Amino acid sequence: MLERCVHSICKVGLSILLLSILPMTPALAGARHFTYIYEALTSAPGSFESENWVTSLGTTNPERSDQVAFRHEIEIGVTDRLQASIYLADWFYENDPAHSGFTYSDSAIELIYNLTNPVIDPIGLSVYQEYKGGDRLFEWESKLIGQKNLGPLILAYNATLEAVWKGKGLSEREGEFQQAVGASYEISPRISVGLELLHEFIFPEWRDNEKIRNVFIGPNVSYRHQSWFVTVTALAQATNTPDEADFQLRTIFGFGF
Amino acid sequence: MKTRSIWVALFIYLVVSCQSINYAPAPPVTSQMVAAQKGQHVDLAKLREGRTLFVHRCIECHTLPPVWHHRVEDWPPIVNSMAHRASLKSSQRDAIVAYILAARAQVR
Repeated sequence: MLERCVHSICKVGLSILLLSILPMTPALAGARHFTYIYEALTSAPGSFESENWVTSLGTTNPERSDQVAFRHEIEIGVTDRLQASIYLADWFYENDPAHSGFTYSDSAIELIYNLTNPVIDPIGLSVYQEYKGGDRLFEWESKLIGQKNLGPLILAYNATLEAVWKGKGLSEREGEFQQAVGASYEISPRISVGLELLHEFIFPEWRDNEKIRNVFIGPNVSYRHQSWFVTVTALAQATNTPDEADFQLRTIFGFGF
Repeated sequence: MKTRSIWVALFIYLVVSCQSINYAPAPPVTSQMVAAQKGQHVDLAKLREGRTLFVHRCIECHTLPPVWHHRVEDWPPIVNSMAHRASLKSSQRDAIVAYILAARAQVR
């Protein structure tokens, strides 16, 4: 059943991509001020953008290895309030003495619907839904995105609920609830600096027996110019979970066609 | 529990106190704005469209500067320089400029 869903994701994703390209006007879909946190605003209708993510994950745990994860995403403005994205490929490089190398992980589709505006309404809200499928992986992710713009300051909040099926026959299950808050201050129309904080609750086999909680915090910087932007966030783990990365550095480079 | 309550209270205080500061990046459209722009071929509908586009499209890349931040003659080229990247048609670009200039005339 779930494997059939994975195939459906690929078909729906391809259809959205083709339908959206037809009336396309070349433009940037929007610059990101954060890399781990989503903002409430959706892209202009007809805009089309490529976003490329690189996330370095470092660990001091000798039983785990460092990783570099990559994502290639196409973001499309469908209507004034609806944005669709396709993750063409998530893949990673693992620096492991036993088996170093590149591995394809998954592909996904993502939809964001904007409800209220962060400037003129008391709070800007959007809802987010993502379906991800790959080699022995299916993931369902829902998010509530909040944002408030106060002059040059952007405050953002994400509440994320995630369910994962993985492994042989997709028999392993995991749930996650994540809260993320961020602030970004615009020094100039091109440069912003800020902070991001993630608070994760992990539920292996959808149970909370192990009480796994992770907190990550760190600064970010964003630069935008013409039809491209680059945003970088460095996060350090503030908790002591050995299975999680101690340091993360994420860079997102986006450009409009 | 107590710590969590303090954090929640602090967050609410921050948002409310920031809300009370008058950033006024996009004042609402009024009939006085239209009246003040007599002879400029603007009406209520055009200014409302301009405001909606201003608060939706422009913040996809950057926060909104106060409308008085730039001179009247500087606004049209500023909006024009970013119109393509914001997927704005020429009529939409004109509506944004009309709104900004009308709002600016009210604020100053």
